[in-house]
Amino acid sequence: MDPNTAGWALVVALFLPLVGAGALALMPASMDREIRRAAVVITAIAFALVSAIALSFDYGRSGELQFTTDASWITAINARFTLGMDGISLPLFWLTYLLPLLCAIYTTKHLPAPGKPKAFLGLMLLLQTGMAGTFVAFDLPLFFIFFELTLVPMFFLIGMWGGPRREYASIKFFLYTFFGSVFMLVAFLAIYFTSGAETWNIQQLSEMAPFGSATFQTWAFLGVFLGFAIKVPMWPFHTWLPDAHTEAPTIGSVLLAGVLLKMGTYGFIRIGLPILPDGALRFAPVIGVLAVIGIIYGSLCCLAQTDVKRLIAFSSVGHMGFVMLGIAAMNEAGIQAALFGNIAHGVITGMLFFLAGSLHERYHTREIAVIGGGMLTKIPKYAVMFAFVAIASLGLPGLAGFWGEFGAMWAAISPGLGLADTYGGLYLALVILAALGTVLTAAYFLWLMQRINLGNPLERWADEPLEDVQAIEWVAWTPLVVLVLALGVYPRLVFGVQNDAVVNLMGYLGG
Amino acid sequence: MEALLDYAWLVVVLPLASAVAITAFGKNLPWKGSELGIASLAISWVLSVLIAYQTFIMSPMEEPVEFSYEWAPMGSEFVFELGMLVDGLTAVMLLLVTTVSLMVHIYSREYMHGEKRFTYFFAMLSLFTFSMLLLVIANNLVQAVVGWELVGVCSYLLIGFYWEEKSNQDAANKAFLTTKFADIGLIVGVVVLSAGMFGLDTSTPFNIREINAAATAGELSTTTVVLGMLMIFLGCMAKSGQMPLHVWLPDAMAGPTPVSALIHAATMVTAGVFVLARLFPVLAQSLVVMNVIAVVGVITLFFGGLLALVQDDIKKVLAYSTVSQLGYMVAAIGVGGYTASVFHLFTHGFFKALLFLGAGSLIHAVHSNNMSDMGGMAKAMPYTFVTFIIGTLALAGFPLTAGFFSKDEILIAGEIWAGAGFATGHLVYWVGIAAAFVTTFYMARACFLIFAGESRSHHPPHESGKQMVGPLVVLAVLSIASGYIFSPVWTAEQNFETWTETEFITEETVYPFAADADDAAEDQGEAVGTPGGIQGDGVLAAGSEPSVLAAAEDGELTVLHGAPTWHFDLLALLLVVFFAAVGVAWKFYGKGPPDRDPTMQMGRVTTVLVNKYGFDEFGYRFIVVPVRDTMSRAASYSSNVLIDGAVSGVGRMTKNAAFATYRVLDQKVIDGGVNGAAFSAAWWSERLKRTQSGNVQRYAAALVAGTIVLVVAFAAAT
Repeated sequence: MDPNTAGWALVVALFLPLVGAGALALMPASMDREIRRAAVVITAIAFALVSAIALSFDYGRSGELQFTTDASWITAINARFTLGMDGISLPLFWLTYLLPLLCAIYTTKHLPAPGKPKAFLGLMLLLQTGMAGTFVAFDLPLFFIFFELTLVPMFFLIGMWGGPRREYASIKFFLYTFFGSVFMLVAFLAIYFTSGAETWNIQQLSEMAPFGSATFQTWAFLGVFLGFAIKVPMWPFHTWLPDAHTEAPTIGSVLLAGVLLKMGTYGFIRIGLPILPDGALRFAPVIGVLAVIGIIYGSLCCLAQTDVKRLIAFSSVGHMGFVMLGIAAMNEAGIQAALFGNIAHGVITGMLFFLAGSLHERYHTREIAVIGGGMLTKIPKYAVMFAFVAIASLGLPGLAGFWGEFGAMWAAISPGLGLADTYGGLYLALVILAALGTVLTAAYFLWLMQRINLGNPLERWADEPLEDVQAIEWVAWTPLVVLVLALGVYPRLVFGVQNDAVVNLMGYLGG
Repeated sequence: MEALLDYAWLVVVLPLASAVAITAFGKNLPWKGSELGIASLAISWVLSVLIAYQTFIMSPMEEPVEFSYEWAPMGSEFVFELGMLVDGLTAVMLLLVTTVSLMVHIYSREYMHGEKRFTYFFAMLSLFTFSMLLLVIANNLVQAVVGWELVGVCSYLLIGFYWEEKSNQDAANKAFLTTKFADIGLIVGVVVLSAGMFGLDTSTPFNIREINAAATAGELSTTTVVLGMLMIFLGCMAKSGQMPLHVWLPDAMAGPTPVSALIHAATMVTAGVFVLARLFPVLAQSLVVMNVIAVVGVITLFFGGLLALVQDDIKKVLAYSTVSQLGYMVAAIGVGGYTASVFHLFTHGFFKALLFLGAGSLIHAVHSNNMSDMGGMAKAMPYTFVTFIIGTLALAGFPLTAGFFSKDEILIAGEIWAGAGFATGHLVYWVGIAAAFVTTFYMARACFLIFAGESRSHHPPHESGKQMVGPLVVLAVLSIASGYIFSPVWTAEQNFETWTETEFITEETVYPFAADADDAAEDQGEAVGTPGGIQGDGVLAAGSEPSVLAAAEDGELTVLHGAPTWHFDLLALLLVVFFAAVGVAWKFYGKGPPDRDPTMQMGRVTTVLVNKYGFDEFGYRFIVVPVRDTMSRAASYSSNVLIDGAVSGVGRMTKNAAFATYRVLDQKVIDGGVNGAAFSAAWWSERLKRTQSGNVQRYAAALVAGTIVLVVAFAAAT
């Protein structure tokens, strides 16, 4: 494939899951096993195609858009169908095809009540197209549609296959994030009209920036900020997340943490910063402060949780805080670190939610005190895997979690675009507090491991036959474990791909 | 031979390969994986010996061997490196780490025999050795941080090796979290130093040589140096057991004894001292930093040693003695004893590993850590006895043992520093001598309790096997021999000082705050342009006491002190101290354990020591409990109730507004019509009310109301 001309490949990859969802819909619901296998085949083909795209991607020009498509779409409002991919999009896009494949494999054996694989997998495929489109859309209306498209399938995934409070959680998820999107949409409209260029094209708008008055920049960035900050989620807009995660089925949580949250940080980087540089600069210290509050606060909340899955959900608040700290640094290293943290968090926390789901299937509870320790004796392979991923999540160097965190703190010590001159002291304080957050992160993970992994099994579990890691789990999890290690040992894998694109992007900001 | 240095990375990679291989198929091998660890370490050790030989004959090295590879690009200006830096300091560390690790690997085959996690243990030993080597060979601070954190996690896993016991789990957590807390300092310090490098036309702001070069050239601002190095020192304090962050180290004795010997005596705990030595050219720019380091070191070397007096557990005695000896090393750095500190680090690694392995041999024999269960072991365990005594003499600094040469070197460094007019020099010298008395006393007490008198063991003691005794003998030889590498038997051109010289620490290197003090005073803290000077404000002037100026007038105060010479006055003084301490110990413990141990009869002093100065209690009551139980719950409550309550409140208010709109405006004003803004609000409210309960309506209504508010706001703004 020639990355300059093969725009079709991206289009095919993007809509393949959607077509697959349609195909599943045509299958009779009674063909339970076949439907699950078909979903694996569909996601596998899509993943293979995206891997082929990644292989033929021209890494020498990763700063430029490749596999582009630009067609007229809704002429009445000048909206165009613009797709493309650069070094920033590629890792996230690839992850968006890896995780659903693993989820489909996992679903061949595990599907929560009320079953119905056809609807479940169909919704997952629909969700996949929405998420994937977000990372390759380069026209604002198209971006918005993909961004919003994810809400509906996730709403149903939580609402139908979720835990006891699924209705509350799903509606809260939907309305809260949609609430933010409204502001974002208004901001998009304001951008369109203020620029006066009659284009929604993200790159063209980035090149034109900055435009509009200071008031415009502030208000428009505020709108974009609300939309994305709720998605990330940043403190104090995070309260939908623990509920959504706690109630969501395993697959829902994996995709929510693995990809969906990244759409928020990606939006900041792709749209907020380059198109509204002045607004972004004005908000950067605020973002930094909220990010660090999120780190400390999320970690403290984790210490108080009694439910393993809710704990992992709160850990996302802290980890995404590091990503946002990188963005608040407003320099190349910060964006690099933020994007790396994105990927690392997707892989690690996605894996943690897989593990939490399997924990529930074995113990039929996620209460730490009820499990009560001894997993290393009872189900040693599972426990070792849990420990490995938990240690990765607490940011051990050599594993994926480290680079995003360390990079963000390094970048924030000398924020770009003149922020260092005015806010140098603030940012130093932010770095120190963020480092304190890593200590709290270590604390809650070690404490968690002490309470469920170590020691001897409680009496109630002593005679219970609990299954260690199953074959299907090995298949679904091994790629993630390998990635956790590979990204940690060879960070160039992501940093190298992104670098030119990040440099380009920051060029728009003049920094 | 010189080409050999290019392959120094093999020393690091071999233990990693062994860790991976042991994990993969160690269980299926005849020796359960231990043969892989021993083989790889043996090769690494041979390489290290050759590397050390090569670096030493080339010394002083003008150009160290450096090699690096771009680990990751970070934007258009900077990269992270993965690389190696081989100079005298690296060579010394490689030699120490591989020697002790090899001995511990061999020893553990017998000591850990029959353990159900035998293979795992060896995999961890190899992984730890790799991590430590990765740290000491690092050419940049990011890699150093990576190695630093990795040794920490290996330490955590090995302290908690017997993880069925809650106390071991707690000890592991305490060790990891205490050091992790201090790592705030390490990480902030490292990024502060690197930020100081921005704008200096480098793409590798973490490169250790470049940072050292920039510091000695006066290109780093005072803020960078002082903040960066004090922060890094905070990290070193926990890792290298400096008070009050030493609290994890005695608890870490919960791990198997070979682990204590390797990680918590000889290597990992010296990582902090190593990093200080590595960055010595930076910290030497600021008297403030050096004073802080010296004072913390002095406090630790004395008060840490006192804690050993009231212990019954032999491993705890040795742990506190490690704390105290690390205090000597750190204090030496603070008084300009770069060579002395590294030298003591080196010799201490051997004799402390020896003592721990000896203790392990004793524990193996009597199945107890407590000296009250030992007694009369000299007859039953002659090899352990003799080697333990040699280790004790070295630790006590008895003349002509390794500890004598290295500890004296530290005291001499203090004397020289004092001679230049710095008060901390006197502190190190006199407190160092006082602590030598304490050291000798508690070690003599331990030896009498263990070896003299009748056996109190419930198990008839027996000598350990060859695989345990062998390493003891080797380490005993090294506990004497390693001292002679920096004894006056060497020439002025070839001695430990020239071997550990780096390109920035040479005979000519001077302390900027001493040598350039005149200029600095004249400029009133303005940037000093001369090499070795220091830029910035305030700090320097504050540190420049008149005495410093006087000293500077006499001549430049150089970093290196010149070739070693005999100091018979100090030798005599220390001999008196030694025999006094042994004499006192003999009086109390020489004829078997006293009914009432005098160290437990010191009234309030004993109480304070038994309570470990209250640091543990303080940390638990005022840090652990508030964070874990109070703050965490407050945060969780605020999230679930306050913040989420506000979200719900907005929804509820909007819902009420929507209903009011529906009833008043829609039903009454528009009179039956269902159009306009109220249409959607009321319609949604009604629909959602029927299908769902609770919060649904709130959010739906919030959405609508929010949109309205926003449209109005934007209309007003434009």
